[in-house]
Amino acid sequence: MRVPVPAERYTGASVRRVEDERLLTGRGTYVADVQLPGMLHAAFCRSPFPHARVVAVHTEAARHAPGVVAVFDGAQMAEMASPVASLVESSPSGGKVSFGILVVDKARLVGDPVALVVAESRALAEDACELIQVDYEELAPVATIEQALDPNLPAIFDELGGNRLFGPETRVFGDVDGAFARADRVVRASIHQHRHQNVPMEGRAILASFDPSSGQLLVRASTQGVNTTRRMLAQQLGMPLDRLRVVAEDVGGSFGLKFGASREEVACCAASRALGRPVRWIEDRWENLTVSGQAREESFEVEAAVTAGGLILALRVQMVIDSGAYPGFAPLVVDTIREMMPGPYRLEALSFTSSGVVTNKATYVAYRGPWAAETFVRERMVDLVAQELGISAAEVRLRNLATRDEAPLRMVTGPSLAGITSRDSLLRAAEIVDLAGFQERQRRLREEGRYLGVGFATYIEPAPGPRQEGGEENTEQVRVELDREGSLLVHTAQMPHGQGHRTTLAQVAADEFGVRLDQVQVMVGDTQRTPDGFGTGGSRFAAMAGGAALHGARRLRGKVLEAAAQILDLAPAELDISGGELVGPGVPGGRLPLAELIGRIDLAARSGQLPPGTDADLTATQDFDGGQSGWSGGTHCCVVDVDPATGLVRILRYLVVEDCGDLINPAVVDGQIRGGVAQGIGAVLLERSVYDAQGQYLSATLMDYLLPTSLDVPHIEIEHLSPVRLDPDVNFRGVGEGGMIAAPPTICNAIADAISPFGAKVLEQHLPPARILELIGAISA
Amino acid sequence: MLFWPLKLPPFAHRAPESLEEGLELLAAGDGEARVLAGGQSLIPMLSLRLARPSLLVELRRVPGLGGVQEDGAGLRIGALTTELVAERDPIVRARSPLLLEALDFIGHPAIRSRGTVVGSLCHADPAAELPAVALVLRAELTARSLGRGSRTIPARDFFLGPFTTALEFDEVVTEVRIPAAPPFEGTCFLEVSRRPGDFAMVGVAAAVTREGDRVVDLRLALTGVGDRPRLLTLDELELEGRASPESLFNEAGRSVGARVRPPDDLHASATYRRHLSTVLTERALQTAFGRAATRGGAAGA
Repeated sequence: MRVPVPAERYTGASVRRVEDERLLTGRGTYVADVQLPGMLHAAFCRSPFPHARVVAVHTEAARHAPGVVAVFDGAQMAEMASPVASLVESSPSGGKVSFGILVVDKARLVGDPVALVVAESRALAEDACELIQVDYEELAPVATIEQALDPNLPAIFDELGGNRLFGPETRVFGDVDGAFARADRVVRASIHQHRHQNVPMEGRAILASFDPSSGQLLVRASTQGVNTTRRMLAQQLGMPLDRLRVVAEDVGGSFGLKFGASREEVACCAASRALGRPVRWIEDRWENLTVSGQAREESFEVEAAVTAGGLILALRVQMVIDSGAYPGFAPLVVDTIREMMPGPYRLEALSFTSSGVVTNKATYVAYRGPWAAETFVRERMVDLVAQELGISAAEVRLRNLATRDEAPLRMVTGPSLAGITSRDSLLRAAEIVDLAGFQERQRRLREEGRYLGVGFATYIEPAPGPRQEGGEENTEQVRVELDREGSLLVHTAQMPHGQGHRTTLAQVAADEFGVRLDQVQVMVGDTQRTPDGFGTGGSRFAAMAGGAALHGARRLRGKVLEAAAQILDLAPAELDISGGELVGPGVPGGRLPLAELIGRIDLAARSGQLPPGTDADLTATQDFDGGQSGWSGGTHCCVVDVDPATGLVRILRYLVVEDCGDLINPAVVDGQIRGGVAQGIGAVLLERSVYDAQGQYLSATLMDYLLPTSLDVPHIEIEHLSPVRLDPDVNFRGVGEGGMIAAPPTICNAIADAISPFGAKVLEQHLPPARILELIGAISA
Repeated sequence: MLFWPLKLPPFAHRAPESLEEGLELLAAGDGEARVLAGGQSLIPMLSLRLARPSLLVELRRVPGLGGVQEDGAGLRIGALTTELVAERDPIVRARSPLLLEALDFIGHPAIRSRGTVVGSLCHADPAAELPAVALVLRAELTARSLGRGSRTIPARDFFLGPFTTALEFDEVVTEVRIPAAPPFEGTCFLEVSRRPGDFAMVGVAAAVTREGDRVVDLRLALTGVGDRPRLLTLDELELEGRASPESLFNEAGRSVGARVRPPDDLHASATYRRHLSTVLTERALQTAFGRAATRGGAAGA
């Protein structure tokens, strides 16, 4: 079942990451490591109230505090940077709202930035923040989806007229009513995903350095894509793109958080421009947990039309998403949730109603597998159907999963299912855990008062997904060039922040071009030379950037061989590039180092010795759309032991059987899967962004927001399936998100199975010990 | 609160070379000075600006405050002895299984390599392990001040409330003394926390003295379930030692559950903590009983 790795190729081998020595010995360069002459430090005075009018901001005392260079309030900032305009297109109410970079009229969440202090050190800036007096007029907080829909509570945005941000909008695929009419029964559930969040090791960070003499703004950013950050900064600052250069070096994680430019980051750029000095802001952990952004808070009402034989014919889904205080990513993710709802299942029909609300909580942001609710809801529903019909959950999955190359060939929502290996993954996972044997052991142990459970979840993820016929061109660009020393430079808009792109992209390019790995340099993170592209996200790297590097290296190799053939008066077919040298029987001495060859091509081109039409520009710019198929996926399986006296959950086994196409670097792939599963374990057992009824945020330190540590994450077994290769060249697929998509439903299904003898029904994703005891009736809720 | 900083507020810092010098600084500080030992609680509180002392008196350079010693009366643990040093100390390992067992629940080794046993007692976090252990072991703390010299404070009188002790602002605890364990006593520390190393949702320190199959003495203290740990004995639980150990422990668990007033927070409801108090009390007593040596026999399981 292991994917065979061709010998003597970098691609497919667990090559050691070129990043590791530097990063693990503390030699990385994060924004906080950069010191510039005259650099100032920013701190924000933030609202303690979730919802309040700002009547006056008194900054006089802070301005005169030691080390303070400037203090900006919302009104001043409004003169320095445009408000953020957010267009929520699908809203029936128009939905166009705008808001200041700093709070102008109204604070909309705890931590909303009201004033910016710029000082000689961060500590002095914080001291001065304490001296700022703000007159607030408190408004009733809107803390929940229910409160957002209550017309008696004040609107967070006056222009919305209420707190509904968009929807409800219903889309119907297939004959939903017909399917429900044919069903033997309807299984209903209200399923909820709790709010949790991205907690990268490095929070948001920016160092803005404006040069008054040139009018250039140089920004060092912690970002998932320098082009997107530059575009957003230019828009907010009213600067032409060519005055702005965004550079990113090492980025300490993100998981979807660091796209574009946040309000704080815009404010620091505006301050640097106003002061003519570098201004740095390093988000601290309180800020990261409270205001950087949160995710996943979605509620679902689901009805499943089911036959007595366990076929799930159709779903009716009503979803409400809690966008938090500002319209951001929430309206965008809903479309993907709807489209992916059927997953790899032969669903005949789907009715999907979505709406979104604003509340006085942190703004919804993308978090690893942002649309994961579709997998959570669907995989939980499969188990609820199984429970109701008395059929094993694995069996219900098997009866409903689509079979490759058999009808239906697409999801009822449209995307092609070509190349999926979902059934194979489920069968293999059940085989590895010896499902029948486990069930026997489970029965035996229950008699002794021990409660074991097994859970499965099967999913596919667009990585980057199948080609959309008639859709917009969606490609990733890579520029491959040779420098004079014979190094292959691979420029990509991908922005590594933990994924090891500098290694994996080099592996692909080295193999295709014929150089050693150490002759390849992957160049990222500088708008002066980075190709166009929004950055890392949407599992685009492996298939799209990997494919573009492969085809780009191939084209450049062709060019080099062509030019070499001209110089040496040989046929290109007689030549090869291997180990960083031009080789071939006709090559003088049998081999010619690339650096030497490049020098000769260059000389020949400049002295007009190459025939007309020979392309001596040793650069190839390549776009690639990811090729065919584009699904990653698999089945996760988890075995848990639940202590009914304490509610503690022990994970006895965690297994991943997955298919992300051809592996570029198995160790990197396994690392991505394990990291995602760890976050899934965190989501179910530990992590929750808690607000009280008054909208105060309670999880603002790492003693309150609990992340899984190495002691909470068990060994994770991983088996890679042989992929279906639909593309002649590029069958790598993204793997960054799947672990986090599949782990929460897998663990919840396992816990639900363990406590099923108590008649417990699990309709939520967060299951800390106290909640488990409530579910089994040991304590009252 | 208008602002949540994560940088330390301004303060002065002194690291005296002698205890007398340190006591002088504290006395002169007039309540605005704080003693710094391992800093594992105080520094985070400063970062969050929850504590704003004008002066930190760091004890690191004061001689004679480290180490673990044994004399006829029991163990003495100096004020600068870290939890990791205590945990690895042969005397602690041989003489105080309850302390040893509890130390393992405190944070992680990196934290224990800085945090001190005495510092944890003086910090008096209501969810910390060592205050409960000190109560069950009938520990005594030696406090010194410039003007009043030395005094001994029994653990029973030391913990007054959350982060509040009987210590005066000008006093330093120089050591904690743990009396030698009586014969035929078994102990157990049990804790349930959200993650290994976190503060307890509920922790139980228990000591049981047995005579054959009978319980003759029992001491208990819980952590995480109130403003401070309290010592509970057979008398205080209104229990008869004559009952069978199993029913006695079951009864003790229920009695403790009815007695505690645990907090409700984002990690667990008060109801959960109350339930857990019952479960863990019974389990800890049962284990302690099993570990106690019986007259004329070896230690139990």
